[in-house]
Order: sequence, then C-alpha cells, then structure tokens
Amino acid sequence: MQPRQESGELLQGTLGILILKALLPGAAHGYAIARWIEDTTDDVLSIEEGSLYPALRRLEDRRWVTTEWGVSENNRRAKFYTLTAAGRKHLRDEAAVWLRYSQAVTRVLRASPAIA
Amino acid sequence: MSPTPRWRRYLRFIRPNVAADVDDELAFHIAMRVERNVALGMTAEDARREAERRFGDVGMVRHQLVRHDERRQHSEGRREYLMDFLQDLRFGWRALRRAPGFAIAATLTLALGIGANAAIFSVVHAIVLRPLPYREPQRLVSVGTASAGEFLGLRDRLHSFSQIGVWIPQTHPIDLGDETVRVEGTGITTNLLSLLGVAPRLGRDFVAEEGEMGKNTVLLLSDGLWRERFGASPDVIGKRILVEGLPMTIIGVMPGDFHFPSITTRYWLPNAFNPANPGMTWAVNDKHMVGRLAPGVTLERAQREVREIWPTLRHLNPLWDPGAEYRRDVAPTPLQDDVVGTTGRLLWMLFGCVLLVLLVGCVNVANLLLARATSRARELAVRAALGGGRGRLLRQLVTESLLLAVLGASLGVGFAVAVVRWLVATMPPGIPRAAEISVNGTVVAFTAVVAMLTGVLFGIIPALRATRLGQSAATVSIGRRTSHDAHHHRVSGVLVTAEVALAVVLVVAAMLLVRSFAALRSVDIGIDTSHIIAARITPPWERYQDTSRVTQLFGALRERLSALPGVGTVAITDKLPFGQVVWGVAMRVQGQYEDAKHNLPSIGHQLQVTPGYFRTMRIPILRGRGFTETDRGDQLPVAIVSESVARLFWPNGDALGKRIGYPWDSPWLTIVGIVPDTKQDSLRDTSRTSVYTPWEQSTLRYSSENWVVVRTRSDPAPFATAIRRVVRELDRTVAVSDARTMDVVVSESVQKARFTMLLVGAFAVAALLLGAIGIYGVMTYLVSQRTQEMGIRIALGATAGGVIGLVVGRAARLAALGAIVGVVAAFFATRWLGTLLYGVSATDPVTFVAVPLGFIAIAVVASYVPAHRATRIDPVRALKAE
Repeated sequence: MQPRQESGELLQGTLGILILKALLPGAAHGYAIARWIEDTTDDVLSIEEGSLYPALRRLEDRRWVTTEWGVSENNRRAKFYTLTAAGRKHLRDEAAVWLRYSQAVTRVLRASPAIA
Repeated sequence: MSPTPRWRRYLRFIRPNVAADVDDELAFHIAMRVERNVALGMTAEDARREAERRFGDVGMVRHQLVRHDERRQHSEGRREYLMDFLQDLRFGWRALRRAPGFAIAATLTLALGIGANAAIFSVVHAIVLRPLPYREPQRLVSVGTASAGEFLGLRDRLHSFSQIGVWIPQTHPIDLGDETVRVEGTGITTNLLSLLGVAPRLGRDFVAEEGEMGKNTVLLLSDGLWRERFGASPDVIGKRILVEGLPMTIIGVMPGDFHFPSITTRYWLPNAFNPANPGMTWAVNDKHMVGRLAPGVTLERAQREVREIWPTLRHLNPLWDPGAEYRRDVAPTPLQDDVVGTTGRLLWMLFGCVLLVLLVGCVNVANLLLARATSRARELAVRAALGGGRGRLLRQLVTESLLLAVLGASLGVGFAVAVVRWLVATMPPGIPRAAEISVNGTVVAFTAVVAMLTGVLFGIIPALRATRLGQSAATVSIGRRTSHDAHHHRVSGVLVTAEVALAVVLVVAAMLLVRSFAALRSVDIGIDTSHIIAARITPPWERYQDTSRVTQLFGALRERLSALPGVGTVAITDKLPFGQVVWGVAMRVQGQYEDAKHNLPSIGHQLQVTPGYFRTMRIPILRGRGFTETDRGDQLPVAIVSESVARLFWPNGDALGKRIGYPWDSPWLTIVGIVPDTKQDSLRDTSRTSVYTPWEQSTLRYSSENWVVVRTRSDPAPFATAIRRVVRELDRTVAVSDARTMDVVVSESVQKARFTMLLVGAFAVAALLLGAIGIYGVMTYLVSQRTQEMGIRIALGATAGGVIGLVVGRAARLAALGAIVGVVAAFFATRWLGTLLYGVSATDPVTFVAVPLGFIAIAVVASYVPAHRATRIDPVRALKAE
C-alpha cells in the first residue's frame, strides 16, 4: 500500500463503484475484491482495505449486492458478495456519469494554457 | 482483532451471531493477506504486520460493522414479526368468519364488558383523574370553611401561600327584563381568578378596590348565562342589570369551560368584607378558603402552619370564645379532592363493579374459545404436523384473541359513547365536573390497553390448552377424543366457578344497595308529602329591606293562594325539608343551660313557619297548640318543639310553658306546643330535634330562604303556574324558583342512591346473565362431548331422571363452589359500599344467603336444557358414532 499523501483521497462513492465493478464477473469475498482493485489499479488508489467492508454494507443496504456464506477456494468459510440486477444497473449509470465527468475534467486540464 | 472467546462462535447455531460473523469475515481477509505475503517471501511476523497495516484500524472497522449488522438484524426481526403478525391476523379473520356464531357471541360479550368499562372510565377520568383546568392545579389547595374574621386573621398570618382567597355561595334574584329569576352565583375575593390562573374571555377581571364595601357593584357572567340571556353579544360589557334590585355593571364574561366552584354557578360577584358588622364577620362560617401554595412549599408544611395558627384565631373573636377544641377540621387539602368530594369513592366503586363484569365476560369468552379449541384440535394438529412450532401456534391463537378483543373494543367504544350520553343525562345533579365527561383520546387509549389485556387474559389459557391438544392429538390419533377430555372439563369447570364467584360479588353488592334503597324509601319522614307543592320565593333585597314589606308580601301571597280553587292550606317556611342544607343551632334552656359562654346543647333543625304550616304538612300537634295569626312580633315570643326536644330536656313530660332561647341576647321563647319528630335534612337524617318559631316573630325575618308550601285537593303539580302568576301579580321583581311537588323533592333527595343502585344493578344483571350463559354453554358442551358415555349409561338402564341428575348435579356443584368463593370475596368487598348502605348491614344475612342460593338455582335452570337433551340420546347411534 502506498503512503496516503501520494495519491488523493478517494472521492466519496467511488469506492462503491469500484466494488460493483469488481463483482461484475461474479460473486467474490472481500479479500478477492481488494485484490482485484489492487491488481487492476496497480495499487495506485491505495485503498485502506478495512474501508472496503463498511462500503460493502452500504451497497448491501441499498440492495445492490447480496451476501451469502460460502467456502473459499482454499476451503475456508467466507462471506461472498454477489451483484444484484439493481446493482448492475446502478454500476452502468454511475460509470457513464463518471466517465463523462472525468473526460470533462481531463479536457479542462488539457486546455491551453497547458499546465506543463 | 479483539480477543473473542472461540465458544461464542457456536452461538450462531442458535441464532445469527452478528459479532462472530464479522470476526470471521475480517479474520478471513487478514489470513488470506498473510498467506499471500508469506508466499511473496516475508517472514510470518512481517507478513502479519504488513497485512494489518494494509487493512487499517481493525478494531474500528469491526466495531462499525457489528453495530451496522446488529441494527439491520433488529429491523429485519421486526419486519419478520410484523409479517407474521399480519399473516396471523388474516388467518384469524378467516377463522372467525368461518365461525360467525362464535365470533358474534364473543364480540358482543366483549363489547359489553369493554364498553361499560370505557364509559365508567370516561366518568372517572373527567372527574377524578384529570387535573382541574387551572394554572398549576396541583399547587391549589382548599383550606376549609371559615368566618370572614377567621379568614382575614389566617390570611395575615400565613406564609405558606402565595395567594389565598375565598368563595361564598351566593344566589340572588336577577331582573332579566321580562322576568325576575333566582340565579345561582358565587361571591369571590377579587384575587380569586388570578389565584386560579383564569381570565375572562371578554372584558376584565375584578380589581382590588371592587372588594371594598360600596364598590362591589360589578359582576362577571358565565359563558352559559351570557349565551342564554344576553344572546352572546359582546355589547353586554358595561351594561347594568338589577341584582337584588341593585344595579350592577357587567364587566366581563368567563370562558365556557370555567365552572368554579361548580357547574351551577352562573355569575361571580366580588366579595366585600364588612368588619364593621361583627355578627356578619364572626358568626357565619360560609367562606370557602382556597389558596395557592407558595413556590417550594409542600402541602404538609402548609397543613402544619394552618394547624399552628388556627387555634390562636379564637382570641380575635370579639363576640364569644369558641373554646380551644373549636373546629379542628380546617386543614389544607388538594383542591381537586375538595371538588371531587365523596363522588370519587362512588366512582371507584362503580369502576370496580364494571371491571368485575368485564372479568365475567372474559371468562365466558375463554370458555367459548376452549370449546372451540377442542373442535379445532384437528386443524391445529395438522398445522403442528406441518411444522408449526408450539410458540408459533400459540402466537397465532393469541393474535386471534386480540383480534376478537379489538373488534369488541371498537364496538364497545361506540357503546360507551351512547352510555356516557345517557349517564350525563341521568346523573343526579351535584356531580362535580359533569360537563367535562366525554369519550376522549385518553378514554380511547385506555380502551385500547384494556382490549389488549383482555385479549391476552381470555386468550392465553385456551391457547395453551389448544396447542397442547394440537401436539398430543398429532401424535396419537387425529380427531379422536383422548384423555384430554377430562383435563378440558376441569379447566372449564374452574372457569365456571370463577365466573359464578365474580358474579356473586356483584349481585351481593347490588342486592345490598337495592335493600338500602328500599329501606330509605320506606323511612317515615313524619310529613304527608302527597298533595303538597312548594316553591321558593325570593324578594329582591333592595325593595324589601324593610321587614314589614316582607311580611306584607307573604301575607298577601298566602291570602291570594288560599283563595284559589282547589287549594287547602298555605304556609310559609324558611326551610323546606330536603330543600337545602340544614344546619343546627345552639339553644339556651331556661333553668338548665343558661350561660351562652358555656357549651350549649345543639338542636338539629330550627325552622320559622307561619300558621297553617303543621296543617299543610299534616304534622299533628301532640300537645298544646299550633301557631296562630296572633303570634306576631308584638306578642309573647313562642316556640313549638319536636318530641325529642321535649324528652331531652323535660323527661317528665312537662315541656309546655318552659322556655328556651337563642344563644345571643334575645327574649326567652315559651314552648306552646309539641309535635312529632320529622326528617328535615334527608331521609338519612338522624337528628330528630327540631324547634319551630313563628315566622312573624323571627328576629331574622328577612332571609333569602323562604318557601311557600301549598296543600292542594287535587294533583299539586299544575299549581306551579298559579303560584308564579300570583307572585307576578303581587310584584314582578320577586323571583319564584324550585317549584316542585313535595313527592318530587323527596324522590330527588335520593337520586344519588337511586342512580348508584341502578348502575350497580345493571352491572349485576349483566354479570348474572353472562354467568347463566356460561353455565349453559359449558353444560351443553359437556353433554355433547359425553354423548357416548350417556349412551352407555342409558343402554345400561339409567333413567332419564338419573341422567338429568348427573348433568344438573355437576352444574349445581360448580355453581355452589363458585357461590362459596363469591360469598367470601363479597364479605370483604362490600365494605367498600360503606356509607351507601342504609338500614342494612354490609354483611346482611338475607343477602348473603339468598344470592348464593339464587345462583345455584340459576345453574340448575341453565343446565336443565342440555340435561334434558342428554336423556334423548339414542344409545345405539351414540355407540355407533365412535
């Protein structure tokens, strides 16, 4: 994990989208989600793994994910999270908004006079 | 991670263990990370440190998750419970609809019981429980009654009160333009309204200087009088009306809910003390003192202070020394207690009775449910077999009971509204705060609580029984009768016994009241009340200050009324029997009690009457003579005494010619006649001593209390109009009021007793009916359940009489047991009737024998029908049926 100050704080709600995205291929436990985010982002987002779980609870409250106890790949009891249809739709909507937003910001930052 | 003992994890097998699950989830995460770190080549210790660093604050996350999950678990539990409840409710509703007869019987029984409770609670709440409608009513106290001198002395010495004032009943003739009416009012000290924390809705309150003699010519109207007589016009302020013939200015109108001291008060006058008149200041104890406790002062402290100061006040009395023991009864009590008075006790008694009715109703419904549970055993067994746990089935059945209770209560509230309307209309006058009685939110809330409690009360035993049946039946043979029958009969037997016991208590109470009322009505009052009409005549003080005018007015009135066709005799008296509160008077007796400074004997009643009074009342003159027209002011002062007075002071029978006198300096009165004792105060009156003096010789001739009594030859009631007409012709400023026949006066005096008797009687009849229905129901059920046994008995040669005896005997035994329990309970309960009883003891043997025997008889009658049915059982069919 990178020291915090090197990368910005995650925008609120962003972690939720990352989790939903991580669950898109199928059910996964918390550790697997953390690993997926770590691998996919090359660890630049520097998420405190502990913050993943409250975020998962919030997603569950909104019925975007469901939970179920199951057995992990190495035969341990683990809690698995699954994307619901509503979660899938939310991910799609949020992703669209996010992409539009980040494109806009990028465009502004790239506009002349250039910063660097 | 926090060290949670491992054993706690096993708790999740019993119920979801939130904390253990959270621990598992987090532990799994850390463990996976540690494994990976080790795989990446770290030492075990580094791997763990790195994993925990990556994770962040484990304790905090854990705490957060546990809290979140617990909250969610609760809300899910609630939702699940609610869903189950709704399902039970739907199911219960369907079950009730399948058994409409049962549902209607149970609902009506409960509606009756709960409705009666709600109605009586409305009354208890309005009168006893609800605080008085004044500012900080709990700080208001009643201090008792006193003379003006005593009140002023007390006021100047007390420190416990921030304010203290008085009210005095004052009733005056008021000229309302088209007629002069005697209207009840109240004199109050000018600080009283601010003391209570009430302001006029219109106009202004009294100011201090209006409490001075000569300046007290203002008045405040009640909302009711303002609406009835002044058309609710705001222009009344500043208007002048004649009170006692004196012009008084209306300065304000009080709010509609202000009824102080009682609902009968129609206006308020400022009270002015007149220290210049020592007689008025010290001899009249009619000042009701009301105070507001100073901040931080307790009632006990105020009581202590009044107790200390009161005895010292006697030294202020310039007229006589009342003695050290004089009137120790003056003590601050909560104003609410004073307003409610003895009505509170009566209401709690009624409330107790109505609760008994509800309990009897509950027992009945429980019995119905019990019978139903047996017939539903098959259904419950199936449900148990399909996996319905006993707790779940129990909940279902209790929900059904609650549904019944709620149905009953809803109907009951409607019933209560009607009953309350009837109660308010038929209540005897003088019930305090009667105007405030209504079925309000508090009453509905109370009813809801009662419904819940009754639902559980009558539902739980049958539900427990039924679920037990369900289980045993499921394991034995579905639908077949098993050994549970005996058990069932024992339970319903206990219920019948309880029911009879409860009803016996009520019926005993009702019977005692009925016997008291009968005793009261058969009291000989010493007056022939038939064919007498009485009316109160109130001349306005302004025009009749000169007593010769009063004499003239009443002389002319007697003359004119006597001349009317159909009129026998006419008389005037200053006190009508049962017409008002009568107070005793101390008398001197020549040769026995002459010194006014010493303890004088007290005479129960002292009346001033005109000639013709004894003839009109049909009170015979036993010895001597009655009053004649020559017993005038300028003649020898005379008196007539009742037998008891004569016997008390002259046991040798030589009372005639002896002399008695008032305690103050006045000429002796020579006894010229002796009459029998009469009841003057009420039918319960025990003070037989009466002294009569000629109305025209009275030193206190002018009195606001003067009644004309007329003996008529026909029905006296229509003569009321004649009396009004004659008075109007003589002087239209004289008010005529309270024109009623003597029979009505007497019967109104026992209105409260009659009202109580009727209510308790109605409750008792309800309990009796419910009890009889209960016995009938249980016996019918018993016969239907024991058809086979009866069949065998008949087949073996039992006679019809034997079978009837079996059933009836069982009913009688149950009733007898209940009656015994009830009689013992009644023995203790009837003490609560206390002063409501008259001429009959609270343990009246007649009642205590007749009621239980009556109940056994009722049980025999109620069980006869099912018993008779049992005799017609065809043994062949009964045996084949199995």
